[in-house]
Amino acid sequence: MIEIKNVTKKYGSKKAVDNVSFDVNDGDIFAFIGHNGAGKTTLIKSIVGIHDFDEGDILIDGMSIKDNPVECKKLMAFVPDNPETYEHMKAIDYINFICDMYDIDTETREKNIKKYAKLFDMEDKLGDTIDSYSHGMKQKVVLISALAHDPRILIMDEPFVGLDPKAVFDIKEVLNEMVKEGKIVFYSTHILDVAEKLCTRVAIIKNGKLVKAGSMKEIKGDKSLEKVFMELEG
Amino acid sequence: MKKILSLLKACMTSDMNIFKIRQKKDNKNNNIILPLFLSFAFMFAIWSNANIIFEKLAPMHLQVLVISLVVFGTSIMVVVEGVYKTGSLLFNCKDDQLLLSLPIKRSTVLFVRIFKFYLFELIFNALFIIPLIVAYIRWADSLEWTFFLTSFVMILFLPVIPVILSCIIGVITSSISSRFKFKNFTQILVSFVIILAVFVFSMNMDSIFEKIAAHATSINDFIIKLYYPAGIYAKLVTDFNIVDLLVFILINIVLFIITLFILSKFYFKINSRLKNVSTSKSVRIDNLVIKSRPKTISLIKKELNTFFKTPVFIVNAGFSLVLFIIVVIGLCVKYNDAFDLLKSVMPVKILDSYLSIFIFVLISFAAFMTSITNSVISLEGKNINILKSLPINTKTILMSKVYAALLITTIPIIIGDIILFIRFRLSIIEMLLLLAFSILIPLVSHFIGLIMNLKYPKLDFENSSEVVKQSTSSFLSVLIGMLLLLGSVLLISKLIELVNPVTLLLIFLGAYLFIDIILYLYLIKVSAKKFDSLSI
Repeated sequence: MIEIKNVTKKYGSKKAVDNVSFDVNDGDIFAFIGHNGAGKTTLIKSIVGIHDFDEGDILIDGMSIKDNPVECKKLMAFVPDNPETYEHMKAIDYINFICDMYDIDTETREKNIKKYAKLFDMEDKLGDTIDSYSHGMKQKVVLISALAHDPRILIMDEPFVGLDPKAVFDIKEVLNEMVKEGKIVFYSTHILDVAEKLCTRVAIIKNGKLVKAGSMKEIKGDKSLEKVFMELEG
Repeated sequence: MKKILSLLKACMTSDMNIFKIRQKKDNKNNNIILPLFLSFAFMFAIWSNANIIFEKLAPMHLQVLVISLVVFGTSIMVVVEGVYKTGSLLFNCKDDQLLLSLPIKRSTVLFVRIFKFYLFELIFNALFIIPLIVAYIRWADSLEWTFFLTSFVMILFLPVIPVILSCIIGVITSSISSRFKFKNFTQILVSFVIILAVFVFSMNMDSIFEKIAAHATSINDFIIKLYYPAGIYAKLVTDFNIVDLLVFILINIVLFIITLFILSKFYFKINSRLKNVSTSKSVRIDNLVIKSRPKTISLIKKELNTFFKTPVFIVNAGFSLVLFIIVVIGLCVKYNDAFDLLKSVMPVKILDSYLSIFIFVLISFAAFMTSITNSVISLEGKNINILKSLPINTKTILMSKVYAALLITTIPIIIGDIILFIRFRLSIIEMLLLLAFSILIPLVSHFIGLIMNLKYPKLDFENSSEVVKQSTSSFLSVLIGMLLLLGSVLLISKLIELVNPVTLLLIFLGAYLFIDIILYLYLIKVSAKKFDSLSI
């Protein structure tokens, strides 16, 4: 479970995230939506321990990310909005590196890497250096490295950007599989129709403040998620 | 012109943070104080040394000789530095896509990149020339207002020719490497060959300097033939002529324009060739190595991978290590010649028994010149977020960077030690102490580099040269290293006749152990917090 409690993050005097609180439960696919610059990435980076925050706390399975960053991070995998990787490495070396950081044994990683490489059509491409890849291929490498250590919580920032339609379809299948096992998927997106179909819960952030959070049904009612979002933005 | 200024402003904002300095005026924790303080300390050291030389030459009225030699020396340094800097400073920049898609002339982009390089070298040159000018004022036989005018013009224009030479060599190096499959390897190899050629040339100048001394009466003309800017500076100081000054300015400007015009003809072709990434034959996943490693080993492997895939990083670090090995071999092969040379500055008795001290100084030089960690944080760039999101503590991340740097520096230094131990008779205790220094001194260098880089990180760099060679952290780390080296030499000169070599080495062992412990504690207690607060 992720508990976000009164989190405030400032850049100078500007509040990028302003007293935001909500929970993400086990088995949720949680969509986090908002306009550009609303504070989505800032909050996501705070959850995964990249950014510090000024007030409040974030608990991962009851542990504070401030007090137990390493233990919290062991439960999570993060997929950034831009596929950030060590481009001079071979993809397989990069994935191995990430798995090493999570202490994943050879057998488990071999099984998972092969599974996800096959799913994303990367089986014969992981021997190349990442700088020879397209944006979408880099994104696939980041996804494989995130999934290879079998995380309990998957946190993604705009994960579908740059992926081909088949990869988008496949990743949605993977996410559904994960939540069936009681894991958590939390991601930010601008693709509202995908979020509407895929996610069980949603939070909408505007100018750093949480505007709405709850189950997809509660938030959108009879309207489409896009309409609700546009009304809130208006 | 407006476009050039806008482009320069945009580039300089991210390069040298000069606009940030203004923003931080009210900030108590002002980052500019340390660089300024160390720059002044360095300039003070140059000024002190210049005074000593002026004092010796003043009775012979040869003060201008010092000006010429310093100008010549700094110019060679700029060319050597520039050879491995220009490759990555001019090519494969991160802002290529942005700039080349804008409606500006390609030569404008090239001009801005060369101009940025010129500005950096202007500061580098000024660190040597300004204290020299101040010292000259004290020792000059007579001083006219024209000296100040000449010096001002020289400060502005002296870096131009070395920058042009560096750019030409850099473009040739990149052009050669762009034609090969293993571009990085070729670039490293060609850079090393050129740097060593320049180095060998400058080391074999004895006969030329002998001629300078022999022709002291016509020294100006002689130096002008040797290196025009150095000679014309000396000539204008002793015999000012406005026409000569204007000709000098004109020559520099015309050379710059011609170079820009010629280089812009091939620059973009080479740049796009360098971007071609060669892909290897597809390998099925079943044939790839998938295996687990301990975290620290995996982190060290990642650091080594970054090092060996960044040509400017290798050449920068490798140069002093290669130089160390060359000096070691040279010392073994031509010991008698070196001994004769050293005899002129040191008593034979001291020289005989203090070989271990000489090796200690040599190790210190190699270690402090090989400051690898001063850019390892900056080189992470946006990838710093990968490290920060992983379940590893900050201490492990930072120490893995130190271990990797230590592996790179210590191995060649210990190889050098072993060669020297085989060639020269040293006691077991001396050998053990020197081996300890081969670890302890590079460790100090790497701690300083990492601490400086965490204090002055530059994660939004445009190319690797900016952080490896032109960043505040790289400048300060080398400066602090040099100050420690000079301090050691000073201490040796004070104690050399009071204590035996083993005692002297033991004193240094204690000192370096102490410094290592203090720097380690500072790194994990203070600098680690800086790492945790880094974000991009």
